[in-house]
Amino acid sequence: MATTAPETKTVFAAEHDVPIPYMQRTRDYYQALGFSPYRWAHFVDVPFTPLRTPLARARVALITTAAPFQPEVGDQGPGAPYNAAAKFYKVYSVPAESMPDLRIAHVGYDRLHTSAEDISTYLPLARLKEAVAAGRIGALGPRLHGAPTNRSQRVTIEIDNPELLRRCREDGVDAAVLVPS
Amino acid sequence: MSLAARHLEDNGISTVIMGCAKDIVEHCGVPRFLFSDFPLGNSAGRPFDVASQAETLELGLQLLERAPAARTTMQSPLRWSADASWKLDYLDLAKLTPEKVAERRKEFDVVKAVAKTKREAS
Repeated sequence: MATTAPETKTVFAAEHDVPIPYMQRTRDYYQALGFSPYRWAHFVDVPFTPLRTPLARARVALITTAAPFQPEVGDQGPGAPYNAAAKFYKVYSVPAESMPDLRIAHVGYDRLHTSAEDISTYLPLARLKEAVAAGRIGALGPRLHGAPTNRSQRVTIEIDNPELLRRCREDGVDAAVLVPS
Repeated sequence: MSLAARHLEDNGISTVIMGCAKDIVEHCGVPRFLFSDFPLGNSAGRPFDVASQAETLELGLQLLERAPAARTTMQSPLRWSADASWKLDYLDLAKLTPEKVAERRKEFDVVKAVAKTKREAS
């Protein structure tokens, strides 16, 4: 709970009201289960490309980690338990014109406090289209692209990322909005 | 996703990540990151709350336009709820008995085997 700083009227936030330390929680959890710790990739240098075209004239790609619904692999509905069979291992693309049926039962979202019932919480396609209609963005790419949530960093770096870049170039986009789920 | 953003950026495409796992994304190092302090699964805003989704996207777009340099993180001012106790629950070991831990381990082995089969088939 919130506390008041001594001898002042300043209210401090509760001790636990900080961004969740996911890396520490995940390390502790899997260590308790008997696994060796996962090593997250990290870098000293970070690339930066300023947006070269005003957004109102730019073409923007949407990239997601959500998976196409596969009726044959079990429950992928709102609040479904973690479903590894619904995973995908290759970059995919679907037309951005209509709303695709993409789910997130294959990833570790917070099943206790949210339910993935509203696709727009993890796929901002409808909101992006509104931004295009309002003239805020020039256009969307013709397709949206799916990036596998592969635990192999080698596959991500050597296969998936070049494939995503190739598709973004084909689509002639200036910028990309990436939304992990 | 962070690795993908870096690769696109390195090749001339400006990127912004919208996400809820602040430490993981910042640990990797990405050009632009809009952080929403929401439960995982709500990177693009609150369920059935179009205004929160529109605001979240708008902040992401502003980052695309105005971030001055790499590793720019903006935190959305939106709150998931007035009470932050939801943050205590994710993978909370304190709530698990040794029996429950063993059960989770078994479940995880099953999930891993399923994923392996699927990966090898694709």
